Amino acid sequence: MVKKVFERPLSWLERVLFIDFIRGLSVTIRQALRRTITTHYPYEKVTPPKRFRGFFGHKVVDGKEPQPAFDEWVERFKIKVEPGKSRCVVCLLCKRACPVPQLFEIEGEKLSDGRRRVSVFNMNLMLCTFCGFCVDACPVDCLFQSDIHETASYTRRDAVLDLQTLERIGRDWQRRREEEPDRIWIDDHQRLKLWHENQLNLPEVKR
Amino acid sequence: MEGVVFWLILTLVKILVILAIVLGIGAYLTLLERKVAAHIQRRPGPMVVGWHGLLQPLADGLKLITKEDLFPRYGNRFLYNLALVMALVPAALVFAVVPFGPEFELFDVKVKPMLTDVNVGLLLVFAFGSMAVFAIALAGWASNSKYALIGSMRKAGIVVSYEVVITFAVMGPIILAGTLSTYEIVQKQIQQELWYVWLQPLAFVVYMFAMLAETGRVPFDVQEAEAELVTGFTVEYGGMKFGLFPLVEWYIEVLSLSAIAVVLFLGGWSPINIPFLGFVDPLFFLGPFSPFLWFVLKVSLLFLFVLWLHWTLPRYRIDQITETAWKVMLPITLVNIVLTAVFAPLVWE
Amino acid sequence: MPWAKAEDFRDLTQRFEGLVLEEKPSITALHVQKAKLLELLRVLKQEKGYKLFLDHSVVDFPDKDPRFQAFYVLYNVDERKRVVVKTWTEGSLPSVEGLWFAGKWAERECYDMFGIRYEGHENLVRAFMWETYQHYPLRKDFPLEGYPTEYLPSLNEVVWGESLQGLMNYDRMHTSVPTLEDLEITERKRLQKKAQIVLNWGPLHPGTHGTMWFLFDLEGERVYQCDVILGQLHRGVEKLAEHEMYNQFLVYTDRMDYLSALCSNQAWVVAVERLLGIEELVPEKAKYIRTMMAELQRINSHLLWLGTYALDLGAITVFLYAFKEREKLMDIIEGITGARLTISYTRIGGVRMDLPEGALEVIKAFVKRFPKELAEWESMLSRNRIWLRRNVGVGVISKEEVYFYGLTGPVARGSGVPYDLRKFEPYDAYGWVDFDVPVGENGDVYDRYLVRLEEMRQSLRIVEQCVSALERMPKSAPFFAESPDPKKLKLSLDGIGLKVPEGETYSSGENPRGELGFYIYSTGGVKPYRVKIRPGSMYNLCVYPKLMKDRVVADAVAILASLDPVVGEIDR
Repeated sequence: MVKKVFERPLSWLERVLFIDFIRGLSVTIRQALRRTITTHYPYEKVTPPKRFRGFFGHKVVDGKEPQPAFDEWVERFKIKVEPGKSRCVVCLLCKRACPVPQLFEIEGEKLSDGRRRVSVFNMNLMLCTFCGFCVDACPVDCLFQSDIHETASYTRRDAVLDLQTLERIGRDWQRRREEEPDRIWIDDHQRLKLWHENQLNLPEVKR
Repeated sequence: MEGVVFWLILTLVKILVILAIVLGIGAYLTLLERKVAAHIQRRPGPMVVGWHGLLQPLADGLKLITKEDLFPRYGNRFLYNLALVMALVPAALVFAVVPFGPEFELFDVKVKPMLTDVNVGLLLVFAFGSMAVFAIALAGWASNSKYALIGSMRKAGIVVSYEVVITFAVMGPIILAGTLSTYEIVQKQIQQELWYVWLQPLAFVVYMFAMLAETGRVPFDVQEAEAELVTGFTVEYGGMKFGLFPLVEWYIEVLSLSAIAVVLFLGGWSPINIPFLGFVDPLFFLGPFSPFLWFVLKVSLLFLFVLWLHWTLPRYRIDQITETAWKVMLPITLVNIVLTAVFAPLVWE
Repeated sequence: MPWAKAEDFRDLTQRFEGLVLEEKPSITALHVQKAKLLELLRVLKQEKGYKLFLDHSVVDFPDKDPRFQAFYVLYNVDERKRVVVKTWTEGSLPSVEGLWFAGKWAERECYDMFGIRYEGHENLVRAFMWETYQHYPLRKDFPLEGYPTEYLPSLNEVVWGESLQGLMNYDRMHTSVPTLEDLEITERKRLQKKAQIVLNWGPLHPGTHGTMWFLFDLEGERVYQCDVILGQLHRGVEKLAEHEMYNQFLVYTDRMDYLSALCSNQAWVVAVERLLGIEELVPEKAKYIRTMMAELQRINSHLLWLGTYALDLGAITVFLYAFKEREKLMDIIEGITGARLTISYTRIGGVRMDLPEGALEVIKAFVKRFPKELAEWESMLSRNRIWLRRNVGVGVISKEEVYFYGLTGPVARGSGVPYDLRKFEPYDAYGWVDFDVPVGENGDVYDRYLVRLEEMRQSLRIVEQCVSALERMPKSAPFFAESPDPKKLKLSLDGIGLKVPEGETYSSGENPRGELGFYIYSTGGVKPYRVKIRPGSMYNLCVYPKLMKDRVVADAVAILASLDPVVGEIDR
């Protein structure tokens, strides 16, 4: 259970013949002759995994909402469901789960037919920790985290995502990656640059 | 009169050629080093500027030149700038006595491909070599920074110790050749059909270590020691001034000392040597260019070996370095001198 | 359980008048009067074998009289028992510096945060805040947002800031930053110059691995005396913890020891689960996943240590090699949890998500290849003469010093103390897997290096066993605990509505940098009343000035890197 660590001392012969240096040199020369492993950002990019916790987005109503939860919440808050618009039901659970709730600014508005819909949904990502609690809390699978990770901006205002931006990110996501299987990462030859020496063969995943 | 003018022109041409080659190669060696280091570390290195980063040294130079010239408060501006000159000039001057190849005839004139064949060439080399310590001490002092001061003191300690060692290490080849002229030493090796490395392996190893120490290469790069001292004595220099120190230390000095090593131990421009039997020249088809190529090849191999060591080994501590110099290397070289003196008459035969 | 039994201390009740023994499943505490505190601690250390000092702080009760409850956490390494000693005070305590040096640093922190005066403390200066700061931030009457009258001048001058509204306007800032004068006062107070040069090593220096500020009083290159100024990264995590729900605090544990976020996550959720008494409820699968991920994170963290350590000693190439393997681990962690650094993957009651497809294959591929790489680096370093000369005999820590300075983790194990919480107090799946605890013999830098390398191998063994266990489990196995009574105890991924009953506990996890302990005091409700974090790095660092005495500057990097502190955890 307890294992003593030790290392043999250098022998006299090893010292004189510089065997220790030669060992090190042989490692470096062997490494030098192997393939390079780097991804040449920004000319080449690794595709983030599906689970990546990047910028936020709102999935839009497209008929694939989690049922029956979605209908229940819609009825409960009398939400007007419009295809192509955010699924948000203004339940504020995301704000409640957030360690920094001040970053959310959520308001609903009442329409003339008596139903409600989300009108303001601002997220100030300057304060965000990208922990994903809000995503866990969302009961209707509306708020999610996309694979957008290049988030530098020129002004602080650009770090505030409003409803339109969130919906745009959501639509884009639903088009690109929603259907992807839940896999550790998708086949990506950029990633294989690093992993080829491990002889990694991921099994095929049915789409 | 005509002879003098011709001699002047020839010397001037030589100076220009040597300076251009040395500084140009020095700049491109930075790229070589970056590429070697990168591939050892499984990276491609500079790839953006030019094909495989071939124009990177130019871009670096441009960047360094256009940078703001900062000067530390309360520093000594005269010494601060003098240090640069003191670093660059002696390092470049060493090439005055490096023979790049055998004498050849150009338009019926015998030309030695070296600036000047002084009969105390080696003395000159090590005299210039020890000038480096002034540059470093001045740079450290004039910067008015504790880090720079510590770095320069370390380097000064190393240079002082290893100057002694390196001088004793080259005694062996000098005894064997019986001359201090670099050109003559190579000639002797060709005549005796013997690279001196075969007789002086100890001296060669010690010389290599001393060379690493003098040039501040790993495992003796304590004056840089970026983890402890940031960059040692260059910490307060900026822009091209900052760029010049590594250029001088890591490239020009390594190059010059490698060239001297080739001259002393590896038979200068001679092809591959089998001891006491003769020379084998796989490059014979190049005719008169073959010796030059051999010289360049040997120097670059030595340089690559230095790079290879640099990117493999960790670094010693300053007290361990000087200790090794005085307690291990100096006795070894002294023993070597005695042995050489005993066996030298056999070689002369 | 790791807690001592109350019977162990029955004989002390005669000797110490008013000694109250308290034994609960989550804690065993000895309540003693302040006057007899020092005597009790001495008896515990010398007679009862509670030699290892873990932690000390106070809990603030503004309404009670006396106001502060102080606690000392001690550990008996031979019998594997832990005990908490408690006392009440109005604002002063006797210093334990004669018994444990580690107490000295804990007391400085406590003085800084609560304003407790320690009688007999040799150098009672503030630990994190600067000397001219007037307030005591962790007292309950100190507002979370600080005092708005004190400005942060530099950040006010934002070009775009003025027109921005609400939170976007950075005009409102917390407390004043120290001016240069303040810092000079702080510096002067720490170090009386005795030698030639005072070298400011840090706060921003590549060798310090973060924003640590060392003062070296140098005689030539020899360090005559050394002092550490902390607080450059102080964010008041303990204060924040009092204002966050239990689950939400998870994201702050990411940001303490940012190099081993998963291990910190795990330590926190295990602590809360122990407080709730639901450790048994957590499904087996979640436990295996957590253990596996934590061990991957440990390898990841040790790789970064190895890389930077080699970099400090000049072997730059090893740094890149270590980062190559680390990048693979990052890929794995990113694919499973969605984040690379601040992971927040564990949840109270399980983990956030099940493993994705292909995760185990990738991990197996990594595990298969990694020992080869490790052997290559070892052949570059372990028996290199330069490496040996830089490491052997440098920074020797004896066994007694381990206890005296409260050292844990690889630093303690390098000195031959087999203190490993994964064995001593198995949490999650550590009880079900087989692994060895590597210990060193001489306690020098080289031993700590070997111990960490061996730990990586042992971690691989654990990962392998976890992978084979997880492969046997069906895909549909639960990864999150189900509450036996959802009315009483609400367990959910987002943590909304998780109420913790009254109680307190001290629970710790074996982080790559030493023991990360959480002392949680709950008065019921969704938020903790007080959370004291025991940062392994901070106590490991407290031996540094002692080790640096009479060494040269070049050893500073070697010794510091072998202690492997992370400033995020030290300063919190």
